[in-house]
Amino acid sequence: MRPAHPLQLIAGLAVWSLWFIAIYGGLSVACQIAPPEAEAGALNRLNLMLGLLTLATLAFLLWNARRCWQAINQGDSEEARRQRFLATLGAGLHLVGAIATLFVGIPILVMPPCL
Amino acid sequence: MLDPYGPAAEAVAWTWWAMFGFSAVVLVGVVALWLIGMRRSPAAIPEEKAAIYNRRWIVWGGIVLPCVSIVLLLSFGIPQGKRMLPLPVEGEQPLKVEVIGHQWWWEVRYPESGVVTANQMNLPAGRPLDIHVTSADVIHSFWIPRLGGKIDMIPGRTNVIRLEADRPATHRGQCSEFCGMQHTHMILYSEVQTAEDFADWIRARQQWQAPEPDATTRDLFQRECAACHQVSSLKGSPVQTTDETLLIGPDLGDVASRSHLGAGVLRNEAGAIRRWLSEHQRLKPENRMPSLDHLEDRELDVLADWLETLTP
Amino acid sequence: MTDITANPQSDQAEQDRLHQDLDEIWGNPRGWRALSIVNHTTIGVRFLVTGLFFFVIGLLLAMLIRTQLAIPGNTFLGPDEYNQVFTMHGTVMMFLFAVPILEGLAIYLLPKMLGARDMLFPRLSALGYWSYLFGGLILLSSLLLDVAPNAGWFMYTPLSDRVYSPGLNSDFWLIGITFVEISAISAGVEIVVSILRARAPGMGLHQMPVFAWYMLVVAMMILIGFPPMILASLMLEISRAADLPFFDVARGGDPILWQHLFWLFGHPEVYIIFLPAAGIVSTILPVFCGRPLVGYRWVVLGVLTTGFISFGLWVHHMFTIGIPQLAQLFFSAASMLVAVPTGIQVFSWIATLWLGKPRFELPMLWLVGFIVIFVAGGLTGVMLSLVPFDWQVHDTYFVVAHFHYVLVGGMFFPLMAGIYYWLPHFSGRMPSMTLGRWGFWLTFIGFNLTFLIMHWTGLMGMPRRVYTYESGLGWDLPNLISSIGGFIMAFGVATFLLDLFLHFRFGEKAGENPWKADTLEWATQLPPTAYNFVSLPDVTTRHPLWDQPHLPKAIANGEYGLSVSGHGRRETWGVDPVTGRIRHIIHLPGNSMWPFVLSALLAVVCICLLVSAYTLAGLGTMAALVVCLRWSWENGAHPKAAPDAHTKPDEPPLHSRTFDGPGLWGMGTTLISNGSLYLSLLFGWFYLWSVSPNWQIPAQNPLNHGFMLAALLPALATTVWLRRVVRQLKQKNISRLGLHLWSITVLGLLHTLLLVMLIFEAPLKPTETTHDAVLLVMLGYSLLHAVVGVLAAGLQALRVHWGYVGISAPYEPKIVLQWWVYTTTVFVITYTATVLFPLTWKPY
Repeated sequence: MRPAHPLQLIAGLAVWSLWFIAIYGGLSVACQIAPPEAEAGALNRLNLMLGLLTLATLAFLLWNARRCWQAINQGDSEEARRQRFLATLGAGLHLVGAIATLFVGIPILVMPPCL
Repeated sequence: MLDPYGPAAEAVAWTWWAMFGFSAVVLVGVVALWLIGMRRSPAAIPEEKAAIYNRRWIVWGGIVLPCVSIVLLLSFGIPQGKRMLPLPVEGEQPLKVEVIGHQWWWEVRYPESGVVTANQMNLPAGRPLDIHVTSADVIHSFWIPRLGGKIDMIPGRTNVIRLEADRPATHRGQCSEFCGMQHTHMILYSEVQTAEDFADWIRARQQWQAPEPDATTRDLFQRECAACHQVSSLKGSPVQTTDETLLIGPDLGDVASRSHLGAGVLRNEAGAIRRWLSEHQRLKPENRMPSLDHLEDRELDVLADWLETLTP
Repeated sequence: MTDITANPQSDQAEQDRLHQDLDEIWGNPRGWRALSIVNHTTIGVRFLVTGLFFFVIGLLLAMLIRTQLAIPGNTFLGPDEYNQVFTMHGTVMMFLFAVPILEGLAIYLLPKMLGARDMLFPRLSALGYWSYLFGGLILLSSLLLDVAPNAGWFMYTPLSDRVYSPGLNSDFWLIGITFVEISAISAGVEIVVSILRARAPGMGLHQMPVFAWYMLVVAMMILIGFPPMILASLMLEISRAADLPFFDVARGGDPILWQHLFWLFGHPEVYIIFLPAAGIVSTILPVFCGRPLVGYRWVVLGVLTTGFISFGLWVHHMFTIGIPQLAQLFFSAASMLVAVPTGIQVFSWIATLWLGKPRFELPMLWLVGFIVIFVAGGLTGVMLSLVPFDWQVHDTYFVVAHFHYVLVGGMFFPLMAGIYYWLPHFSGRMPSMTLGRWGFWLTFIGFNLTFLIMHWTGLMGMPRRVYTYESGLGWDLPNLISSIGGFIMAFGVATFLLDLFLHFRFGEKAGENPWKADTLEWATQLPPTAYNFVSLPDVTTRHPLWDQPHLPKAIANGEYGLSVSGHGRRETWGVDPVTGRIRHIIHLPGNSMWPFVLSALLAVVCICLLVSAYTLAGLGTMAALVVCLRWSWENGAHPKAAPDAHTKPDEPPLHSRTFDGPGLWGMGTTLISNGSLYLSLLFGWFYLWSVSPNWQIPAQNPLNHGFMLAALLPALATTVWLRRVVRQLKQKNISRLGLHLWSITVLGLLHTLLLVMLIFEAPLKPTETTHDAVLLVMLGYSLLHAVVGVLAAGLQALRVHWGYVGISAPYEPKIVLQWWVYTTTVFVITYTATVLFPLTWKPY
């Protein structure tokens, strides 16, 4: 999708939403089917998987934010102004998505998963 | 809750005061900025300068301030929540108590000692408690404010909450998930005792044999009460309810020793049981116990007299 | 622009003539024919007035609550009465006041702000309004009959199911609210499409009034957020009426599923209420500061972020149900995070105040109240997102205080500011400060007296929803203070209503653009005409009235586009959603009785369902279906829809002559909403498989693999064929269009019949296990879509014969195609989820 596409306004946080569903759903299902030992604390396979998914999502969002940001058109025409609006917002929203992913993902580092 | 009697509740009380102080500062700050802004009448600012000015406002006030606040909050909150998990402990193992919610009373069981009671919960001070809760009908919620957080009682599931009481006291607890007509009168008094007193309390109930009722009383009880109530302290109880969730009314094993009747509706003073029998639909309207208006006063007296003896 | 004062008299005559011409087409009929009005100005006002009526009812219920709780052991209300009252207070305020009144304001304002003449689906607005009114009245009638819902506005199962709530109480809630939600979904659809497609020419996305951004996000949230609850309500009503055990643990259901679906709606709902109100603030604050909103892009960023993140918070209403703490922390963190976009907005408002020269008018007073109360509520909200703290105060009066601060502060106060601000629009008069100040201060003081102390009451352990409490717990005094405060607030609201009444009688006449505002709604007459603007101006700035102050006069003189009306059509521009360039002329449908008739029939169906008159309900549904089809018949090239399809040579074509009309967008957004409903169902299916405590599965899959495939093939064929037809139609290269469409209809019918056979063949025992009950609902959902698809395709074939659809008016088959693509996709997903997916781990 090109950096100033209007759907970029939705893309960043949509990816965040999908990631959110994936970690919540994945956690719930995994805890039903094969919960790791409570003694293992936060260091176990499940948290590792969730953490990797989080990092991958984070990387994608940051990459796309950068892509949008670099595409910002500095011209002064109406066309350029509209393009600038979409690209800046797109970049901003991807960045917001990345921050949200990071922040919501922090607990994966410290909490045991299924208690 | 602001008068904590246990570590969990105390931690939360501290958190509250910290958050309250911080929030008060933020609120006053924001409102002050707003009011000052309304009274100001600045000279016109060139657009480029205004843009920088704006970004500063939004970035510092709108992004940095809340972000820092929530990171701080989360870093306090996570360890605190972790302490309330039923994680394995070293040393003395937690006491397991089972509490089952019913419309509108509490069934309390101590599986380690086999003691069963209702609408009262005695607990030892200084020992971790694992409260296992579930429900026999609709969703209820178990909550003793001065000991700590609450946990929902959901049919088909068992939830566990780890609590601990510091020192002996009586605490009032109340159902905190709306559960129907008499949600209001689903109160649980919990008596925290020293470890020795608690052990005595359990032992008294384990060893105690309730006095046999005479034939009239027994017939009356069988006819009017036994469909829902059992008396566990009477070996060879009139009601042989085996499935615990089939218990419709509270176990009456030690009813006379309880501090309240009707899940906190009526203080159990002299004559209270007799009063409950004749007035319970007025004291706790729409409760699930049928009215006993069809009985004669004499019959109610007989029943009440025997129930009054049920105290170990 | 030409000199507009050159010849005042002839100008005036010209204006009058233009007005008369337009009024003939757009004007409202009187008498009983007023039921047929579809104009957005009238519908918007009706929503607002009805909303205020329900608000007063909700307020009276609140007064009953406060009277009962004023002293301990009060017997003013019994437990049953109290439960009805608090349930209805919440229900009325949320579903019959907050959401509809804001929808009404948006329906009233949006076309005017965006420089259009109406919403794009005016008849849908009317349908929404009548459904809201009738649904609300059905719900309210339960109070008079003393069978009002009494299981709380959140209706938790199993308390609300047939075992624990055997009376009609819960049915009134489920049926009444589902009926009302028709208005929410229809408003959602048309707000999205109208904002994207019906703006002033040249108004790009980046130049929209910020209110439109807020409403765009809110409408999308409605479309995605409401369906989970609609689904849950339908499931609960089915389980009450037909004993299908979706939420019954013993038979494999799960009461927690209800909570998930309810809060999946319930939390976004809070933002659905708050965001339009924040939009009001962002609109009127810059006007009174005399400068543009600081950080337009930041605010848009904040609004979009709020829209998304608000869907990741729902579990914070369920922190005490015992889900793993790591999962709780995800939601806890997301709940805290939502404070950031709100912070951005608050600080952009403050920056606007600091950079501008604020004028102190009545709306500004309400905004001061807003900021104090809302920020306080937001801060307690952040506290509540902390799990251990929530465990303590969840379901106590602390939470009651918190959400009243958020909702009253975040919605009611800005709404009042908005009402005062737009009053000149409704009445043509200016509000006065005298009574207005009294109303504000009484409300503000009363509110804080009631709810500030309530935090304390909650911290002292008083749970919600108790009808009385005993003395000696320290709750007596705070409750008494709350009650006194409550009555002071009620006096405040009464003062406001009195002020409103006097205003319409005695208010001073308003001049042109009385607040010196920047947005186009102030370029209309005050009060506005039904068509808003005599001519539709090009807009290329965010602040048209500041940059071109002569606009109101020029518009009234007919200097801009679409001022010709000899063709008898209601017209507005159809623009490109991003750039705002003109694509075509949208001709809008005129007044019609069908929306009213359809709503009335649906009301009859609801009442029949309530009294279990199922035959009659079935007949009513058939009648409603016939009305729907009849309604859709007057479309496209139908003489009633477009009496004259010719446009001027320099003008673009009518939308029905293109492939890109609003109907296409309407269907698209409706399907997004519909998809949200289906996904909720799918979520339920997988949720129950993985976490239902007693999940039971039959020995083998009741759905026959081969049969499913056999039913799938004709659906695929229908879709592919229809797609080919649409493509050929686009290339104007098709013969025997009617025959094609008839064949497609037959294929669709084959799919439908196979589905019916599949359902009857499958050994489903829907009352015995939740597994089978959910399967039945999934198949029923597909069947319903197939039936509608067949009807729509058949109708197209008929319309080809009548000449309403064809190469010159080609656009309807594409809408039917959208439906079939959706229907087929859903069936493929159902097939995958129920037949293929279980094969991977062979549970049967």
